[in-house]
Amino acid sequence: MRRSSTKKKSAESVATDLFRSASSKASTKEMDRIDQLFNQYANRSSNLIDPEGIEKLCSNLDVSHTDIRILMLAWKMKAEKQGYFTNEEWRRALKALRADTLNKLKKALPELEKEVRRPTNFADFYAYAFNYCLTEEKQKSIDIETICQLLEIVMGSTFRAQVDYFVEYLKIQNDYKVINMDQWMGLYRFCNEISFPDMGNYNPELAWPLILDNFVEWIAEKRA
Amino acid sequence: MSNQKKRNFQIEAFKHRVVVDPKYADKTWQILERAIHQIYNQDASGLSFEELYRNAYNMVLHKFGEKLYTGFIVTMTAHLKEKSKLIEAAQGGSFLEELNKKWNEHNKALEMIRDILMYMDRTYIESTKKTHVHPMGFSLWRDNVVHFTKIHTRLLNTLLDLVQKERTGEVIDRGLMRSVIKMFMDLGESVYQEDFEKPFLDASSEFYKVESQEFIESCDCGDYLKKAEKRLTEEIDRVAHYLDPKSEEKITSVVEKEMIANHMQRLVHMENSGLVYMLLHDKYEDLGRMYNLFRRVTNGLLTVRDVMTSHLREMGKQLVTDPEKSKDPVEFVQRLLDERDKYDKVISTAFGNDKTFQNALNSSFEHFINLNARSPEFISLFVDDKLRKGLKGFVDVDVEVILDKVMMLFRYLQEKDVFEKYYKQHLAKRLLSGKTVSDDAERSLIVKLKTECGYQFTSKLEGMFTDMKTSEDTMRGFYGSHPELSEGPTLIVQVLTTGSWPTQPAVPCNLPAEVSVLCEKFRSYYLGTHTGRRLTWQTNMGTADIKALFGKGQKHELNVSTFQMCVLMLFNNADRLSYKEIEQATEIPASDLKRCLQSLACVKGKNVIKKEPMSKDIGEEDSFYVNEKFTSKFYKVKIGTVVAQKETEPEKQETRQRVEEDRKPQIEAAIVRIMKSRKILDHNNIIAEVTKQLQPRFLANPTEIKKRIESLIERDFLERDSTDRKLYRYLA
Repeated sequence: MRRSSTKKKSAESVATDLFRSASSKASTKEMDRIDQLFNQYANRSSNLIDPEGIEKLCSNLDVSHTDIRILMLAWKMKAEKQGYFTNEEWRRALKALRADTLNKLKKALPELEKEVRRPTNFADFYAYAFNYCLTEEKQKSIDIETICQLLEIVMGSTFRAQVDYFVEYLKIQNDYKVINMDQWMGLYRFCNEISFPDMGNYNPELAWPLILDNFVEWIAEKRA
Repeated sequence: MSNQKKRNFQIEAFKHRVVVDPKYADKTWQILERAIHQIYNQDASGLSFEELYRNAYNMVLHKFGEKLYTGFIVTMTAHLKEKSKLIEAAQGGSFLEELNKKWNEHNKALEMIRDILMYMDRTYIESTKKTHVHPMGFSLWRDNVVHFTKIHTRLLNTLLDLVQKERTGEVIDRGLMRSVIKMFMDLGESVYQEDFEKPFLDASSEFYKVESQEFIESCDCGDYLKKAEKRLTEEIDRVAHYLDPKSEEKITSVVEKEMIANHMQRLVHMENSGLVYMLLHDKYEDLGRMYNLFRRVTNGLLTVRDVMTSHLREMGKQLVTDPEKSKDPVEFVQRLLDERDKYDKVISTAFGNDKTFQNALNSSFEHFINLNARSPEFISLFVDDKLRKGLKGFVDVDVEVILDKVMMLFRYLQEKDVFEKYYKQHLAKRLLSGKTVSDDAERSLIVKLKTECGYQFTSKLEGMFTDMKTSEDTMRGFYGSHPELSEGPTLIVQVLTTGSWPTQPAVPCNLPAEVSVLCEKFRSYYLGTHTGRRLTWQTNMGTADIKALFGKGQKHELNVSTFQMCVLMLFNNADRLSYKEIEQATEIPASDLKRCLQSLACVKGKNVIKKEPMSKDIGEEDSFYVNEKFTSKFYKVKIGTVVAQKETEPEKQETRQRVEEDRKPQIEAAIVRIMKSRKILDHNNIIAEVTKQLQPRFLANPTEIKKRIESLIERDFLERDSTDRKLYRYLA
């Protein structure tokens, strides 16, 4: 018996439709609020949140603009240009954090931090931090001073001793005026794998970047 | 009686057994027994061999073989027992003689008895697989005489005593020894070994242990070795005369062990007479003896080689690091060559050209030559000296010999690229000043370098020679097309291709009018025939011959550098000039100008110019005038040569820096080459491969290689593998 193609919907699908439209209504509402929040900080003419806007945001969130959590937020946004957030980037992060008001955003920050600090994410975040600082096109390295600041922000709370030593070393050494991505990542591995300050398990014959070989030698001399 | 039938006459064998009279066997045996007695008593003449043989034969035939065999054994045993009593009774020296005599007698008797019992030997004994007569005779002798307790030890001791006597110089009866020892050998290899050889070896070992200890306390190395050699020869002689040849190896082992192996270290290291002493004093005979003796023992040659190597390295190190010795580069290199020759001679004369020693020599030289970082420079200077004057008058063959020796030193260098740099500098100077003794010698050396290092090493050097040749042709062409220039100053130009010659910055300088006119004419001529090229005058490298007329009419021809010429020509138009005026007129840079003026005014015998004030150094306030009183024995005076000299410290630093810079691209090229073919490679392997590839030119520093790898990573030629950080990956 052939049934006619019925346009009659089943009770179930109706329900999901209702739900979807309700949730989509809700999500559109959420997105509107997110956009509204964006507009509070964005520059009218460029439609971007610029450094000024970010400062305002930071003071509203009650964090310093050199706080790592802003960088984490940028990471969540996958923000491409340092000091600027586009509308799309803003939406991406706030939607993921389910924060459509300033208060909710503030409350979401600790969660965000926990998420970023998960080992699987942190390596990605660490590399992101480096790229975020490359301001010129075709730029591949970052100057020593900026690196020191970046290190402080990104690793200062977890690897205090290593950061202090490394920053000191970077300032007195003459071999390198800039640091590239390979060396940056090398340092991350160093902090995670090598016991400090004895560095007993460091083997210079493996493929560590040369700057770390020199760093280790310098520490050894200091401690002798 | 009447007709008897004729039948075939048949003889039939007895069908019944012939029972032999049982007493027949006894009787026959008795005959034989008596015969044996007689034989032993040397009373065999009356016996009939045929009869005895037949008797024995019959016994066996009639199945009395066993009785015969047993009887033979019993009888012989009895006799031997008697004989041994007699031998044992012999006193002193005659003991051995008696034994020998009785042995000979026994042998004779045994032969006769064997002949008589031949049938039994071939049939009964064969079938019963018993011991044959002759061997049995030996066994019985062995058991009853040699192993007779009263004889056994005494015999051995007597023999060993005699050997000892002979070793201490007494003469003994070698013939007797031979006989007796042959007896042992005849009795069987195990008898020889058990009853004689082994105790002999043990006693010898003791003897040599003691003797070697005495010698080592009292003799120096050379004497000791002579004695050891003598003893070895003696033992070999002894074996030849009265021992089993198979013992030779064993006894020589004993001597080698006791006299050489046990004292090896002490001998080699003996103060004032050991290996080092011998090497230093060319004691070829002693060295040869040591080589031959030590060759016989395990690790003997290894010991000698090791001591020689460490001595060489020590001596070499002192040689190259002694600041006194590195003052004169030519001396330095000559010393190295002399040492090499000396040790070459030692190895060929005393060590039989042993390859392992050759290798040790080479590795030692390689080790210490590279301890002095200036070795490449010095070797180039040595070659320079030889090619300028040292080889003058040498025959072709001798020239080749010297060049080959230089090549040998060159091969030891780890930093061949440093040598290349210096060689190029020195060659340039030689070519441009025309100061080479033999063109053939120069080319010969280039060919040798090419064979050793490949085409790339020498392509630029060859380019330099080509430039010289081409310049000659160019000059001919120039004067050919400008015949009007044959009067007036003669210009000789060498056109150098920039890439081939060592780079020199072009120094500015105002040439005198006569000269600059000529130069311009040349320039237009040259550029007329070679479009698209650029000529830059290297005024700091040229020379000039000037005719000068002095105050008292002295005429001289001065050979000077281009700068000096510019300065001197100014005095054609002025009697006196200040430093500043000269500087302005010539535009020569200050440091070069000062050096130039110094060589013209401050060198005794060459001061064609006088300076006021007469201080040693050139000051910017000084003034200059012609030295009208200048005199020289020679018509032609040479002022300021362009000889290759040992570099000053700053020059050395500069050269080294340039070498380091040149190495960077070479290292990178090697890395890229390797990664391109391997695609993925781990860190340690890259370092090893790169080092190996660059080894013909220089020893690559692992840190430098790492730096280059990181640079290549930054430029996206390579990347690190994302999972295993020890691996590198080639990015196409």
